[in-house]
Amino acid sequence: MGTEIIGVSPNIERIKELINQVADTGLNTLVCGETGVGKELVVQKLYEHSDRMGKPFIKVNCAALPDGLLESELFGYEQGAFTGAQRRRRGKFELAHGGVLFLDEIGDMSLPLQSKVLHVLQGGHFSPLGSEKDVRSDTWVIAATNHELESDMKNGQFRGDLFYRLSTIKISINPLRERSEDLPLLIDHYLKEYGVQFKDKKIQKPGSGVMKKLLAYSWPGNVRELQNVLKRIMILGDSEESLSDLLQTPDRHGFPGNGNPGNLEPLVHSELLNLDSENDAGLNSLSLKKVRKRVLDRVEKEVIAFVLNKTGWNRSKATKILKISYKTLLYKIKDLEIKPPNGAKLDQEL
Amino acid sequence: MDRTYKLLVIDDSQEILVALDKYLKKKKFDVVTATDGLEGIKLLKAEKDGFDLVITDLVMPYVSGVGVISILKKEFPGTPVVAITGWGEHPEALAIEANADLVLEKPFDLEELEQSITTLLVKRKTSKS
Repeated sequence: MGTEIIGVSPNIERIKELINQVADTGLNTLVCGETGVGKELVVQKLYEHSDRMGKPFIKVNCAALPDGLLESELFGYEQGAFTGAQRRRRGKFELAHGGVLFLDEIGDMSLPLQSKVLHVLQGGHFSPLGSEKDVRSDTWVIAATNHELESDMKNGQFRGDLFYRLSTIKISINPLRERSEDLPLLIDHYLKEYGVQFKDKKIQKPGSGVMKKLLAYSWPGNVRELQNVLKRIMILGDSEESLSDLLQTPDRHGFPGNGNPGNLEPLVHSELLNLDSENDAGLNSLSLKKVRKRVLDRVEKEVIAFVLNKTGWNRSKATKILKISYKTLLYKIKDLEIKPPNGAKLDQEL
Repeated sequence: MDRTYKLLVIDDSQEILVALDKYLKKKKFDVVTATDGLEGIKLLKAEKDGFDLVITDLVMPYVSGVGVISILKKEFPGTPVVAITGWGEHPEALAIEANADLVLEKPFDLEELEQSITTLLVKRKTSKS
């Protein structure tokens, strides 16, 4: 048994209860939540509480492999199925027979592969690449994602039938900022754990000032970020001042809106998905130049809008802060479609 | 009806839950309600004598209606279940696959629901005797 799920928030209490109630049902399960909230731990607990414990537990990261490789990884292939297939290789669905197949980052799976996975979930069997024989697979499929699959579904990026089939049990883990009551318990737990782990080193426990900062922080990187910061504090003994640099709070920077500036991953991710949806050929349309432009536009739009709002849409002041020319600012406002808040008078310059 | 039948109604919409509770009680059913699938499963497992019939929404947080039906059919085989849904065809098809006895699409007629419940209860009684 590994780490337990730590927390007393209603969300975490519900998840613990859910694991106890459904782990032995073998029903398809979808675990959702932002990066770093602990999805893998929940999946591990489901497995440990089920009657499949001790049987195979196979994890596949669907975001880590290109489509073709992922397909052969999942379904396996026969000898000679393609150039380089020198011997038969069993796929993860076959290897996980009787146990659990954990499809991590399922939201990143391409639509063609989604339909192949759906086919296995519907029929309980599949054919390896280059084979005409069906292989039966009694596998408990648990999938995880940091995507909002409901909106991916509406955008045509995720199959509705696969979503419903996967989410017979749906576990949504709230981000740490929405369950602040769990924070003291998590800090206490990891301080104890790292105290044992780094017992040979001279450990410095955080002082009350540091603790105050930790409790006030919004943790955009969730539990994973908390773990990294605590490790650093204990080993390097970060002072309160250097901790301020480490904790890139949205509040400190005052970013407006959905407030997750410290974590670029969802942004980069959504830009890549946009590219995918434009072209069925998927990766063929991928261009780093296009991605760079899209990402840059989004970041610039957010930063310029923030500065304009802070200066009450005084563009002269904004150009000084942003260190760009007035002409450039006007062009960016138009090009990036930055709109003033309702009622703001644009012609009025202070 | 020769006796009072005990029904479990599961829906995450409070409005629907209240409406069904009120209507079915008026029709002399004994009604227990749950606001999501997890609550529903707990009530199912806790009810010593079992429920005579279960009505469940399909799209719900934690344990979906399909999850409830699958668990019900495994642990309490023979208990009839009516699935109600306001969504597209996917969960409906899954509910039928999971052996729901009836799938009703929202909005549905309450009298139609009552008739279906009665038919399913009579069918169950006949198959038992």
